[in-house]
Amino acid sequence: MSRAEKKRTLIAYSFLAPNFLGFAIFTLVPVVCAIALSFFEWNGGDISRLKFVGFDNYATIFNVKKVSQNGLAYFFNRVDLGISLKNTIFYTLITVPLTIVCALALALLLNKIRGAVAYRTIFFFPYVASMVAICVCWSFMLMKDGPINQFIQAIGIPFNKSWTADSAMAIWAIILVSVWRNMGYYMVIYLAALQGVPRELLEAATVDGAGKWKQFIHVTLPQLRPTTFFVSIMMIISCFKIYDVVAIMTDGGPGRSTKMLVTYIYDEAFVKIRYGQASAISMILLVIVLVITIIQFRSEKKFSSD
Amino acid sequence: MKKLLSVVLAAMMLLSLLSVPALAEDQVLKVVTWDATTTPYLIAQKEAYEASHPGVTIEYVDVASQDYGIKSTTMLEGGDASDVFMVKEIDDIIKWQAQGFAEPLNAYVEKTGYDLSGFVGTEKNYCVEDELYAVPFRSDFWVLFYNKDLFDAAGIEYPTNDMTWDEYAEKAIALTKDGVYGTHYHTWLSAVANWTVADGVNTLADKNYDDLLYFYQLYQKLEDAGACMAYAELKASGLHYSAAFANGNIAMMPMGYWYVSTLIGYNKDGTCSFNWGITAVPHADGVAAGSSFGNLTGAMINKNSANKDLAWDYISWLGGEEGAAATASVGARPAFVSENVAGAMSAVEGFPTDETSKGALIPSFVGMEWPVAEKVADIKTIVNEEHTMIMAREITPEEGIEEMNERVAELFE
Amino acid sequence: MEQTLHQKEIRRDNPVARKILHIVIYIVLTALALFTLIPFVWMLSSSLKLDREVFAYPMKWIPETIRWENYALIWQKVPLLTYFKNTAFIAIVVTFLQTLTSSFAAYAFAKLEFRGRDTLFLCYIATIAVPWQAYMLPQFIMMRSMGLYDTLWAMVVLQAFSAFGVFLMRQFYRSIPTELCEAARLDGLSEYGIWARIMLPLSKAAIATLVIFTFVSTWNDYMGPMIYLTRDANKTIQVGLRRFIQENSSDYHLIMAASLCSLLPVSIVFLCLQKYFIEGIATSGLKG
Repeated sequence: MSRAEKKRTLIAYSFLAPNFLGFAIFTLVPVVCAIALSFFEWNGGDISRLKFVGFDNYATIFNVKKVSQNGLAYFFNRVDLGISLKNTIFYTLITVPLTIVCALALALLLNKIRGAVAYRTIFFFPYVASMVAICVCWSFMLMKDGPINQFIQAIGIPFNKSWTADSAMAIWAIILVSVWRNMGYYMVIYLAALQGVPRELLEAATVDGAGKWKQFIHVTLPQLRPTTFFVSIMMIISCFKIYDVVAIMTDGGPGRSTKMLVTYIYDEAFVKIRYGQASAISMILLVIVLVITIIQFRSEKKFSSD
Repeated sequence: MKKLLSVVLAAMMLLSLLSVPALAEDQVLKVVTWDATTTPYLIAQKEAYEASHPGVTIEYVDVASQDYGIKSTTMLEGGDASDVFMVKEIDDIIKWQAQGFAEPLNAYVEKTGYDLSGFVGTEKNYCVEDELYAVPFRSDFWVLFYNKDLFDAAGIEYPTNDMTWDEYAEKAIALTKDGVYGTHYHTWLSAVANWTVADGVNTLADKNYDDLLYFYQLYQKLEDAGACMAYAELKASGLHYSAAFANGNIAMMPMGYWYVSTLIGYNKDGTCSFNWGITAVPHADGVAAGSSFGNLTGAMINKNSANKDLAWDYISWLGGEEGAAATASVGARPAFVSENVAGAMSAVEGFPTDETSKGALIPSFVGMEWPVAEKVADIKTIVNEEHTMIMAREITPEEGIEEMNERVAELFE
Repeated sequence: MEQTLHQKEIRRDNPVARKILHIVIYIVLTALALFTLIPFVWMLSSSLKLDREVFAYPMKWIPETIRWENYALIWQKVPLLTYFKNTAFIAIVVTFLQTLTSSFAAYAFAKLEFRGRDTLFLCYIATIAVPWQAYMLPQFIMMRSMGLYDTLWAMVVLQAFSAFGVFLMRQFYRSIPTELCEAARLDGLSEYGIWARIMLPLSKAAIATLVIFTFVSTWNDYMGPMIYLTRDANKTIQVGLRRFIQENSSDYHLIMAASLCSLLPVSIVFLCLQKYFIEGIATSGLKG
């Protein structure tokens, strides 16, 4: 390393240090402990009870024995891990694009209009409200003869059951509440990012004769790329970690129809006190999210080096 | 890797032990419990104990009831030194014993000559290999609450302490008319199907759930007849049974005995004003009248406590006759059963004055809601999941029970 | 030729078309806003009822008798004021530390070259991906050993250094042209100078965003305070709210009233900061 390089690195570290120290002590160390724990059997209590079991925890949660006999269908229909993976992925696949589209649309609509302050505040409200109150309220609104069902019947859909007590609709209730709650949050991020789109670029595009739509596609959207990268990663992560809405609204039910990865982790760790297995499930979550992040990270780099 | 991990964790634990202040001199007993400021029996117990033990202060560590399991276990894992932990579910004590957090109590029992006979065997649920780990102080069994005013208005005779489930269903349907529900089932498994354990033979961990069929069919018959609120709506709205019955349009409701003190409180503060009574829960054909099931609440000594003798004094007092009197004085049912205690329970201001209600205080048999058994936590999850499917009518009771049998069998393969 | 004609047409129609477009936008927005507000109307209505009326079915939007006293009751039944103070303390300190340290660190990640940068950054993101439930126990044991258990500082140190803020700020910094930094370096500004004199002023919108998010998420956090704060004197609003739900009874009318009260401070923070979303760097006339 040259002297200049050394100095640069040192300066970089000095920028990182205040945050990194706190982060390393209070988050990184416990996370590393949790990773290690996934290879141990531990029901809590004394440390001497830690028993190294290699990949046994993973074999158990995947139910390798049964699955190898009965095939993958068995895994996704009968095994807790398979069911919660399936539910979590379905939930994420629907919620992420839906929220991003809603958030971006709201941000564009609200970017430069009069009275925007009031609207912005209203749309941000759901994110601010306390979770218990919101979930209780939504369960009520999604009841058999509740306002939402009345509305969808009015537009001709013959559905008349309480959403949270129906195994097909329960997950949609959770999606609905999530989108409703989070769209204001991501709208704010997009709003902030939209301020960063240089006006000159937009004006240049207008002079070139580009319509609003073209302007959006060719100027605004590429400018928002770092933000979209951030928003999509944060959304994917938070969707994979969905817990509180499920815990309050459906508790994973009916049956296992809304059982999610984190509800499963919670159950293993704090109800069944099998910390090793709970950690193993978390590792699966970690690997999935990490793979998605690295892919996105790569494509971000490619774009920015273009 | 194991070594490193254990060194790190051990160092943490050691440090956490060192940072615990000694409590021995100031005679403050820290008791971890839930809803401490509003639960009448906790207030009564504290007052009575402090009055008879000058110089000792009971300090409750209050935890929200629905988080008690996770919070109390985390506290213990972190090496918390609170002296006494109350035991909300029976399997909590089994877990804590396995983790090494619970002080074994046989030596204390011997040393102080503590008489366990008043617990009529319920303390066995807190034993692991004949060693006692907690003292029960509350034993709630299920009774049938009924609204006397609605029965009077319909001209139907009050339920008795000897009534079968079929007779109960008839009454429920007869009482149902516009706006009045004959009965009310809370969404729990225990409110609908636990009755099968009242015969003293079945348990919910016996790997065969065919015996639940009768109760699911009974429930669905009542729901179809409109004699109770539909499960799907109840679950979605999150309506609490305490508010439901207090509304005054529900004629009967099977519920734990603890609801007595809630109702007495409601009568006092004006939340509701109708006349109510209790009877024993109905029984199945061939099962003795007055059979029910219930749950225990107890207290254990934390192994980390610096004040174990005082803690023992407290929990033994809590479970014994004096503690039982304090518990009973506000309408809760102590685990220690005697004629005296039953007398004290019925003498509580606001308790129904009829003989039937008094008779319901001493059940002929109380099975455990959930027994102590291998993998019971896993079984609980499975049975509850299928319960919600049956109740939401996603599957028939037969299919649900088939699933329970199959999935529980898989656990033991 | 065709295109210019087409364009002229649009230009000519512009005022009218624009007006119609605006009206449509307002109608859509208002409909959406109403939809968003329905649950809050329900909360307000429930907060003025008796508990047993809250779940009365079919639902009533206007309570039979309006019970304003519920709003007095919540302060008497639990020490809500203490909870507010604690929550405010945690939220303010965390927000300050979080914004400061993460904008600092994000500058290194976004604009400086050093070895191990990407790996370290992935490390940050990876920890966001691990659910807290999985590492809560090791963390708890550690915090206890530091003597932080049941202190407000526990919540401060847990939330002040989250990876989220670094990630957010890094993304914003990346959209600021690197040429600006290069130019400043040529002018002899140190890296710290660039951060303070160029990056910070240019990222007002981002900072406002981070402040709001940190404040809101700290304000609404439930699991953390539930585990770490035990004494009543230390509890936060979200934990305090649960005191209205008990084993054998629940006071949902009071939960709704207290929830609405807890909405106020956060809304004020939002309202104060939201003007920065319109006064971002667009006004400073940057080139793309």
